[in-house]
Amino acid sequence: MPLLELKGIIKFFGKLAALENIDLQVNKGEILGIVGPNGSGKTTLINLISGYYRPTRGTIYFDGRKISGLRPDQIARLGIVRTFQSNVLFEGASVIESMMISSRLQYKTNEWQAFWETKAYKDEHEKIVGNALNTLRFVNIFNETFRPAAALPHGFQRMLGIGVALAANPSVLLIDEPTTGMNHEEAMGVVENIREINKQGVTVVLIEHNMRVLLNIATRVIVLNFGNKIADGDPHEMMSKPEVVEAYLGTETL
Amino acid sequence: MIIGRYYIDHKSVVPKIVIGALIALVAIFPLFTTNMVTLSIIILSGIWAIAVMGFLLILRTGQFSLGQAAFMAIGGYVSAILTVKMGMSYWPSFVAAGIISGVIAFIIGIVVLRAGGIYFSIITIAFGEIVRIVAMNWESVTQGASGILTHAPESLTVGNLEINFAASVVPYYYFMLLLVTVSALFYWQIDRTRIGGTFRSVAANPVLAEHLGINLMKHRLIAFTVAGLFTGLAGAYYVTFLSVMNPLIFDLWKSVQIMMMTIVGGMGSIVGGPIIGATLLYTLGIYLSRVPIPNIQYLVFGGVVVLLLLVLPKGTGLVDQWGKLWRRVFGEPEDFQMPGEEGMDEE
Ligand SMILES: Nc1ncnc2c1ncn2[C@@H]1O[C@H](COP(=O)(O)OP(=O)(O)OP(=O)(O)O)[C@@H](O)[C@H]1O
Ligand SMILES: [Mg+2]
Repeated sequence: MPLLELKGIIKFFGKLAALENIDLQVNKGEILGIVGPNGSGKTTLINLISGYYRPTRGTIYFDGRKISGLRPDQIARLGIVRTFQSNVLFEGASVIESMMISSRLQYKTNEWQAFWETKAYKDEHEKIVGNALNTLRFVNIFNETFRPAAALPHGFQRMLGIGVALAANPSVLLIDEPTTGMNHEEAMGVVENIREINKQGVTVVLIEHNMRVLLNIATRVIVLNFGNKIADGDPHEMMSKPEVVEAYLGTETL
Repeated sequence: MIIGRYYIDHKSVVPKIVIGALIALVAIFPLFTTNMVTLSIIILSGIWAIAVMGFLLILRTGQFSLGQAAFMAIGGYVSAILTVKMGMSYWPSFVAAGIISGVIAFIIGIVVLRAGGIYFSIITIAFGEIVRIVAMNWESVTQGASGILTHAPESLTVGNLEINFAASVVPYYYFMLLLVTVSALFYWQIDRTRIGGTFRSVAANPVLAEHLGINLMKHRLIAFTVAGLFTGLAGAYYVTFLSVMNPLIFDLWKSVQIMMMTIVGGMGSIVGGPIIGATLLYTLGIYLSRVPIPNIQYLVFGGVVVLLLLVLPKGTGLVDQWGKLWRRVFGEPEDFQMPGEEGMDEE
């Protein structure tokens, strides 16, 4: 059974069909790349899985359970966490504050224990702050721990986006164009991160324009074009298909 | 906005000893004067401060409630009706006022918090008006516009000390202090611990918060309900102190004043800001009520708030400015103590 399954997904925005009849299976442990030209529906796909939008038609299953129709917070609590294509931040929060908010799902103590600051809560809290700092180290922005998130340069904000998503304990991580606007070194760091995240057992769905990055880490790739899935398979084979090359031509460097 | 302090370490800007001295001064204040007017101003400033803290707690989740006076009205009516009409003694009616007000806030919250944003504000205004209209017209219970005359709380005996509310204003003063202290501690503890951080995240970016597993509705509802509870208690205090409850005491203007007090005090500290804001504006209001110019209160209050909004940096009030001044004079509070700091040197 696939971990995540989309069946007959259709999404309309008014009269515009952003996705037309998508069937997709994501298997446990893979890194699934999604490519496609601008406006082909990649982000919409993530928005549907994460519950930000509801599909116009079709159903999404996670671990055999129907999740389309649930709220984003319910879906996140099931272990499906996403990042955003643009840098989305908590206004006014520092890096560590952002991390602690997204670490909420790690706490076992309830609101009442936290209110009274019981020993169980404090111990747990200390551990989770430690986790957050480790995650910041992992995504290479540890030195920015106490800076306001909004003051970070673009590349660091992208890395924070991944750190924040990781703190929410994902078993499936949906990443939307993590390397856009990054320099080569930063991008390589992110690629390494994703590989490592996946190695730790997290299933990854990765939207990425940069084919070189995808060929590097994806175990499978699907290609979207005008809201349709036009190819699905091994990343290297994918590049030899004429319709894929055609959809891609002129949009990106291969 | 500061969230990290709440998670990692929290040191107040003003040293504990200064706060302690201020509290001690307030606690022994009736030794210096038992002047009815002076004590009444302090008492009602404190009561309004409780409502302002509630407003600020709701604001922490990003919602702007313009119906908070209605919860004082609900608390006030519950206590007045239970004591005068049903013969209950004051103390259980006081507790009932808080509980019923909290429950109503919870139910109303489920309905109105779905709207969110500006719609929420508008609906809370409507809610306040509905409460007023019901109070006006449900004469068999509320006695309509003529209102209910309430009586003082029953005397209490603590040890061999007889606390008689009918005899002097001093017992009311200490009752107020107790109520403000308990409310303030509760609000403060919410604000500085995990849930307070979550509240802020809900306000700062609801979409992101929701995608990280935070139930927006649940947190907005908790804030609204807690505020409703304490604001109801404040209302129940108010009516026994004023000896009367009628539909005009807690109108829309009072809800607006609660908002204005929040702006004047500032939103940095959930306790300090409301206390300062409520005290300044309430006292100002008392003096203005002696000025023989019609509607002067509206003009001056409006003017003060507009001026502060123009002069002070966004989102700050007097308390935050004083905090800044304090820091400039006395230096920053000690910085974060990071867990695992020892291990960091080896990097
Ligand atoms: N909220 C919305 N309202 C209306 N139209 C939308 C909305 N979101 C997306 N669309 C449209 O749906 C189509 C697919 O958009 P989507 O963002 O999924 O593309 P994408 O593949 O992620 O593109 P890009 O590579 O530019 O990020 C586009 O035509 C877009 O304009
Ligand atoms: Mg996109």
